[in-house]
Amino acid sequence: MSEQVAVEVDSVTKEFGVIKALNGVTLRVRRGEIYGLLGPNGAGKTTLIRSIVGLIAPNSGTVTVLGRKLPNLDVLREVGYMTQQAALYPGLSVEENVSFFAAIYGVEGGVKDALEFVDLYTRRGSVVATLSGGMRQRCSLACALVHRPRLLLLDEPTVGVDPQLRVELWEQFRRMAADGTTIIVSSHVMDEAERCQRLGLIQYGRLLAEGSPSEVRAQAGTQNLEEAFLKLAGEKKES
Amino acid sequence: MSGHRIAAITRRLLQGFRRDRRTLALLFVAPLVILGLLGYMLRNSATSAVGVANQDSGPLGALVASALDGSTKITTTNIAASDGDAKLKDGSIVAYIVFPSDFTQGAQGGVIAPQVHLEGSQPNAAAQALQALQSALATSASNRPGAVRVQPEVTYLYGGPNLDTLDYFGAAAIGLIVFFLVFVVTIVSFLNERSQGTLERLMASPLRRGEIVIGYMIGFTVLALVQSVEVLLFALYVLNVHNAGNVFLIFGIEALMAITAVNLGIFLSMFARTEFQAVQFIPLVIVPQFLLSGILFPVSSEPTWLQYLSNVLPLTYAVNALRDVMVKGADLTWSSLQLDVGVVAAFVLLFVVAGTATLRRRVG
Repeated sequence: MSEQVAVEVDSVTKEFGVIKALNGVTLRVRRGEIYGLLGPNGAGKTTLIRSIVGLIAPNSGTVTVLGRKLPNLDVLREVGYMTQQAALYPGLSVEENVSFFAAIYGVEGGVKDALEFVDLYTRRGSVVATLSGGMRQRCSLACALVHRPRLLLLDEPTVGVDPQLRVELWEQFRRMAADGTTIIVSSHVMDEAERCQRLGLIQYGRLLAEGSPSEVRAQAGTQNLEEAFLKLAGEKKES
Repeated sequence: MSGHRIAAITRRLLQGFRRDRRTLALLFVAPLVILGLLGYMLRNSATSAVGVANQDSGPLGALVASALDGSTKITTTNIAASDGDAKLKDGSIVAYIVFPSDFTQGAQGGVIAPQVHLEGSQPNAAAQALQALQSALATSASNRPGAVRVQPEVTYLYGGPNLDTLDYFGAAAIGLIVFFLVFVVTIVSFLNERSQGTLERLMASPLRRGEIVIGYMIGFTVLALVQSVEVLLFALYVLNVHNAGNVFLIFGIEALMAITAVNLGIFLSMFARTEFQAVQFIPLVIVPQFLLSGILFPVSSEPTWLQYLSNVLPLTYAVNALRDVMVKGADLTWSSLQLDVGVVAAFVLLFVVAGTATLRRRVG
């Protein structure tokens, strides 16, 4: 595999009972790029992310992360994962939460940097239970990147976040990507998709289309991504 | 007040329960289990075994012995007086009564003086044996004229006449309290780890499952140990519960129970999705153990099939160990204590392994 590939998903299928959450998904994410997983609720975005982070063992197919085939506990040291809900300890302060995850990943410093990065350093002493939804989301992000992962997986990181903060977070993602971090982000918000370098459109557990936002638009022959998505999804349904 | 709105709330409640089979089972099965256990234990419990050694050269000893034989309170066996203490120690009898060779002679002189040897650690059983003797004496001596004084010579293998019910239950209670509270706290907070999503995060980190379980175990054990010290000091110095053994040994057994409870909590939290369901484990796990572990009724007095059940519960061994130490003054040279402590330690190990094994599968 090329040094330039951060994540390689090869013909991955995952079934939950009769439901095929992933149905033969194959995709490659290059190092240092922001890759957007786009699709409606229940399309399989979260399942795909969870299989990349090793939480789910696929029924068939392979997942290779940073050159190592999963399952592999060591590679997880270099992966950051931000879950859909802000998974934090409500009884601990912001700083205590971030320090905890730093310790889990075996890094000493970096807590201050991470808190400054998400603009929570001045609120570091606040107990998480007292924070607003947006602050929790940022704290959760700080926990996911405190160990300076080479691959960052963000599952709908901007759900419930106001537009201004969303812009700020995306600015941060771009800075991280510029520093060489690979970011995979799932979303069903189309204007976020425009900010990704490449997109994967997912529906019914399948990859419908892949490419840069303009490539996806061109493929569908539409003016914007939303129309492109609806058109491509519609074609697949008919076929 | 609107009847419709009230009806909507009632209907919503019952609709929810319809899909929650577990809660329904709890509501309708648990009462039968608990009442059933209690019923069988109270009604079918075996009577205490009492040994009788008749050395009387006269006829009275045999007369009283046969009256004892007919007692419904106890079951008698004929033994040699010299075997009595050994039988008390191994638990096969709770008391033995010796009618000395001058028993009849003494009665003729106006004093009835049987020798009663009590095991002493079980106040209820001792009381039953004494009552049975009393009524046996009343039956067989009633046809004797004249003033007869009954003067049994009572000796105790453990404890003494001052050992009361609290001394008996107190030893077990300090263990039960720690076990119960630690279990509840652990199961709820491990469940929170799951429901707030942090467990998923931990599973996506380089942490190993065993590290999570052992980390939890140590954290809760620290809390549990502080609690154990508090409970123990209160029992010993405020309630003055009798203690014939080493305080540090008691503490050690309590600590072992706490660790068992922590790991049982972690293990069982895998089978609950909500705090509500976790709390349901209390009637299913704690109450039967409370009834069957010998805290209220000695395991040996249970119907045989319940004894099998009692013998696979960790609390049974822990309660027995605490009583051995506090009432009987046992130390680690006693093989019975070694067995109890060993079994509890094995349960700890079993729950650690079981908790670790179920962790990965139940994340999502």
